[in-house]
Amino acid sequence: MRLDAESRMRDGERVMRILVAFKVTPDYEALRDADWVAGPGDGVETRYVRRILNCFDESALELALGLRDGPAPRRVEEPVDAEAGVSLGALTIGGRDTEPHLTTLIALGYERAARIDPSAALDFSPPATAALIAGYVRQVGGGDLVLLGCRSGPGDAGVVPFLVAAELGWPCLTQVTAIECYDDDRLRVTCAAEDGALALTLRPPCVLAVGNATVSHLSVPTLSQRLAQRGRRPDVLTPADVGVDVGVAAGDATTELVGLERVAHTRPGTVVEGSTPREKAAALYASYPHGW
Amino acid sequence: MRFVTVLDGTVAGAERRARGLGGFLREGLSGMTATTAGETLVCYGDPDDRGRLADLAPTADVRLVRAPPRRPDIVVAVLAALAGTDPPDLFLFDGGPAGTEAAARLAHRTGGSLLTASLGLALDAEGGLGRRSVYSGHMTGRFRLRARPWCVTVDASWQESGLAALPAHRILSEGDAATGASPSPFIDLELEEPAADDLAAARIVVVAGNGAGGRDGVARIAAAAARMGAAFGVTRPVAMNAWAPVDRLIGVSGKRVAPAVCIVAGASGAPAFLWGVERAGVIVAVNPDEHAPITRAADAVVHDDGVAVIEALADLVAGEPGAG
Repeated sequence: MRLDAESRMRDGERVMRILVAFKVTPDYEALRDADWVAGPGDGVETRYVRRILNCFDESALELALGLRDGPAPRRVEEPVDAEAGVSLGALTIGGRDTEPHLTTLIALGYERAARIDPSAALDFSPPATAALIAGYVRQVGGGDLVLLGCRSGPGDAGVVPFLVAAELGWPCLTQVTAIECYDDDRLRVTCAAEDGALALTLRPPCVLAVGNATVSHLSVPTLSQRLAQRGRRPDVLTPADVGVDVGVAAGDATTELVGLERVAHTRPGTVVEGSTPREKAAALYASYPHGW
Repeated sequence: MRFVTVLDGTVAGAERRARGLGGFLREGLSGMTATTAGETLVCYGDPDDRGRLADLAPTADVRLVRAPPRRPDIVVAVLAALAGTDPPDLFLFDGGPAGTEAAARLAHRTGGSLLTASLGLALDAEGGLGRRSVYSGHMTGRFRLRARPWCVTVDASWQESGLAALPAHRILSEGDAATGASPSPFIDLELEEPAADDLAAARIVVVAGNGAGGRDGVARIAAAAARMGAAFGVTRPVAMNAWAPVDRLIGVSGKRVAPAVCIVAGASGAPAFLWGVERAGVIVAVNPDEHAPITRAADAVVHDDGVAVIEALADLVAGEPGAG
């Protein structure tokens, strides 16, 4: 990657900085039916549920590793800078329960790993979340390319990437499914557009929101990778460190969650009887004589 | 109460988007019909499409503007100029990626409230109150919109609405935002148009879930579906494990189907998946787990191995005269 800013130099090597902003969420599939009730605050009680990476963010984290480790640019109009490289950073907004994931990312070779502790629930505050991510990019020097999942729970609004782009004044591309180096300062990106699969070329800075990428599982670091990074801890920042007053950002929310209702998906659930799969299939077949 | 709907006709799918906007205006708004007055901003790329796109507008009053495709930033600039110092109360966008980006950027620019994938919007004494799905479809949230303009996108389910029958459209203005527009940051675009969507038109859909046990099990269910003359879909875990192509994915992050019969084999029944099949006439769940959520969302339940039952059923259906 050809980059011109002095801050992008590392030991004389020109480096493209990629920041992946990810979210650690409760595993909603692990909740019992009876647990889906609105809590005393403005959400469902999920503190006892195991934490997982938001699925779209997990794809983004793995796509970034692929950019670092992947093949050389597929088409070269000018000689590729042999000393160019990719530097990865990971950022999340949350409490201590996010740190195991950050430690895993450090072991996988993420050079920067940080969490911003907001000291307030921002699950339904996309503008505040976006302000923190953009603040990190501006204040800490987050990257030339910001990757995020296109949507995350529990809010599922799918607007944080767009708001980050708006904060930074960058373009945004969503439903990204693949990214590769194109030449020494451009990327070739594939996304699922409304009218088909769209491939295009772009030059960072840019925000990319990852959708249903087939690269969907984060690599697992080896024991030697973990040992090599033993002792490295993620940075812990406050909103003030990135120039954001999150109390104001969250308190001034122009869109506020004021209530929750359980969604019921209920049908009769008539059990089809039989002692073997073939008998049950026959009973099912006979039950819907006009359905097939 | 004044509103502006935004119909993006610069890329394919304008009719679908118009159905969503029109359905929401007719059935998704409450408490504001008596004083409602709105217009539609229709963005077009090809001048030959102007008339057709204007006819799709869900309001009688229409403004036409020529705009480059895939440029929500330009749409937002047009809307901001249109609003001037007296913006409407509500900007309504379709729920696709471009509509969502335009809504988000407009809310950021104006300081207005932002609500995506809205199931409905009511006007009460305190202002706007919208509903949308949250917690991966497990819950519906009610959101108070505190700042105008309200920048709202409509949920994809509204696209199942019919087109409004409007007597005539009145063109209020025409503009050109394409000439002299800043260059796109995205270049060398190659669009691979999707193949015909067999899932959308299928009478029977067979869906394979994680319970199929792996690539082989999924392939056996797909083959059995083909013998039945059914379309084949998968849940997100199956697609993400690369046991089937992503374009087969059914659910919130994939497709929504409405067949006469939908047979779901080996899926737990997460709400995000159920959104994709809930319009089916009959849902059959095949799952050995008697407590799986899918069993409560199905009309009929077969407690057994999904692969074995689907293959046996395919034998019966394929044996029917004219079937398979």
